Amino acid sequence: MGDPVVQARGLVKTFGRVRALDGLDLEVAAGEVHGFLGPNGAGKSTTIRILLGLMRATAGEARLFGGDPWREAPTLHRRLAYVPGDVSLWPNLSGGETIDLLLRMRGVDPATSRKGDMAERFKLDLTKAGRAYSKGNRQKVALVAAFAAEVDLLILDEPTSGLDPLMEQAFADCIAEHTGRGATVLLSSHILSEVERLADRVTIIREGRAVESGSLAQLRLAQAGGDENASLEELFLRAYQS
Amino acid sequence: MSTLTGTSALVRQNLRRDRIIAPLWMLVMVVFAVASAAATPSLFTTEADQLELARSLDEQPALRALYGPILDPHAVGELAMSKMTVLYALFAAVLFVILVRRHTRVEEESGRAELIGSTVVGRDAPAAAAVAECLGLSVLLGVLVAVADIVGGLDVAGSCWFGLTWIGTGCVASAASVLACQLSSSARTCGAIAAGLLGGAYLVRALGDGFRATWLSWLSPFGWNTQLRAWSDPRGWVALLYVALTVALLVAARVLRGHRDLGGGLLAARPGRPAGARWLASPLGLSVRVHRTMLVLWTVAVGGLGAAFGAMAPGLDDVIRSVGGGQELIGRLGGAMIAAVLSVVAMVITCYGITVVTHAAGDEAGERADMVLATGASRVGWFGATALTALGGSVWLLLVTGIGLWIGYGAAGGPDPSGSLSAAVGWMPAVLCVVALALLAWSLRPGWAVVGWAVLAVFLLLTLVGELLKLPGWVVRLSPYSAVPQYPAQAWRWTPELVLLAVAALVGGCAWLRFRGRDIG
Repeated sequence: MGDPVVQARGLVKTFGRVRALDGLDLEVAAGEVHGFLGPNGAGKSTTIRILLGLMRATAGEARLFGGDPWREAPTLHRRLAYVPGDVSLWPNLSGGETIDLLLRMRGVDPATSRKGDMAERFKLDLTKAGRAYSKGNRQKVALVAAFAAEVDLLILDEPTSGLDPLMEQAFADCIAEHTGRGATVLLSSHILSEVERLADRVTIIREGRAVESGSLAQLRLAQAGGDENASLEELFLRAYQS
Repeated sequence: MSTLTGTSALVRQNLRRDRIIAPLWMLVMVVFAVASAAATPSLFTTEADQLELARSLDEQPALRALYGPILDPHAVGELAMSKMTVLYALFAAVLFVILVRRHTRVEEESGRAELIGSTVVGRDAPAAAAVAECLGLSVLLGVLVAVADIVGGLDVAGSCWFGLTWIGTGCVASAASVLACQLSSSARTCGAIAAGLLGGAYLVRALGDGFRATWLSWLSPFGWNTQLRAWSDPRGWVALLYVALTVALLVAARVLRGHRDLGGGLLAARPGRPAGARWLASPLGLSVRVHRTMLVLWTVAVGGLGAAFGAMAPGLDDVIRSVGGGQELIGRLGGAMIAAVLSVVAMVITCYGITVVTHAAGDEAGERADMVLATGASRVGWFGATALTALGGSVWLLLVTGIGLWIGYGAAGGPDPSGSLSAAVGWMPAVLCVVALALLAWSLRPGWAVVGWAVLAVFLLLTLVGELLKLPGWVVRLSPYSAVPQYPAQAWRWTPELVLLAVAALVGGCAWLRFRGRDIG
């Protein structure tokens, strides 16, 4: 395995007196699906925003493809796709326009992308105006834009929170296709069963700090004394109750 | 449960949300009223002066179009309130468009209306609450303006009648806005329709007053503001016209509301394009796409306004010469027509620029900026697109105004019509300065973008009231709108233009330096 695709060491981020991140470590290896777990307010989104160069860390180091996300954001971003947790769209742009915009800004030609295929799989009407989409459909617009091109890294912040079970299945298939060709996925989620099914390794964070990191087997060893049947949910709760 | 259940709770909620904008807007209007009322009597030495001035002003079609006619040259109040009767009443009415739209269609578009609708709140309560709040605020504003006039030294009866015209304008504007907000599912389109209704009513009156086609003025509620004759021999029954129109508009809105679903509009939402145009590939493309309809509407509006007023402008130079002693009052009434129109349009165009900046701030709050900046788009691209659309769009609109004036003025046989374009260019540094300050506020902190509106309000107050209150010249000139020469009413001066351009560049540069290094969102 080569250099990690995503690497954060000792990330600290303060907002006034609030310490959102408190020495967070995160490492995502090439080709893996990495589950990023934590309750609301634990610092998942803040971490992602620092990794994307949207925010500057107060202290610590963040690397993306070995580069500095703060300085080289646009170059690095051409290799990734991002789905925010709470997708809001431009009210007067259609879903199709929004997807094409995002693809073109990543240097992808929508005509040669898999946009049509993805829209069909997610059953997305591309002609609606942004204001007319429901929460789930807004999410799908961002997912179609993310999955339509072959990127090296997918950063997904609670990507399935508004999706129905059928769409969750379509989502899982897309993840499998992308990892099948060697892409890396950073998947922040609350849905532990989904992470358990998709993720190779997970990092659990608590109050801005990683409390557990490793494969499910490693976590079982550390938290449940090697209980092979312990679900991710049990492991997660244990990490929080200890 | 009636369809109005919960209205009073919503009114309280609305008032709480409007606790800054509504008092501030009304305060500005009241300050204008006091200052205008107090300043006027000191401007004439004799009644003969006043009469001659009032008559010669009333002979100018363009001034009648802009401010309405002066029906009784003997009435000091009518002269004193000439700007406020129609033009500022229009500005005041904009508040009600903003408030009604904010509490009805914006709530539906954002989905908050569903949250509210799921509680013990009737179907018509949100619209009813918005109307109740705005009618109440209209009455309050009218009373305050009447008191302001009395405090400023005008006669009590006239002031009260005058306040009544403002109440009427506010009620009609509120009702027209709630009607407009039923039409489209887009809050922006609804706002544009409401603004169009008000602008249309103003235009009809402007044509009627400008061409002395009084019947046309009577068709517009803004015409009633003058025709009520608040200051001498008032026609009280005109007030009933406001009531009748308000009721009619409200009934129409209620009927339309009954024919649509929550979030829906009567104008069917057309399906959009399944694919984006080729140029929709960068932050700038996005900014153009998002703002293009607004920019087109603005272009048509300022171009048409320029041409219409340009056509009515010739001949004003003669007035300035013939009145002589009244130079100061003419200056107060707006100087030469072109300078007067441009001073108003420049301030209004600034609103366009600030809107673009607050939109960019909204994109950040809604995490749409995150999606853009997580692609190959750079920060400089995002900032540059916002700055270019805001600043470049403002420059474009000023040029269009200038060209419109040129065409209208030239067609009507005015001397040296191309000077209108130079005059429009002369306002650019001022507008750029204020928009750059809005950019700086946004760059300091996205939530501060609204400070741009406060900056604009302060400068407007300094410019419009500062001279009335005889504040020291250097204080008034702190406002860019007072610093630029009122060309062609005054001589062109390079120094303030260049200084303001330099300030705008400096402020814009600071904004970029800050934006480059700050957290997004």
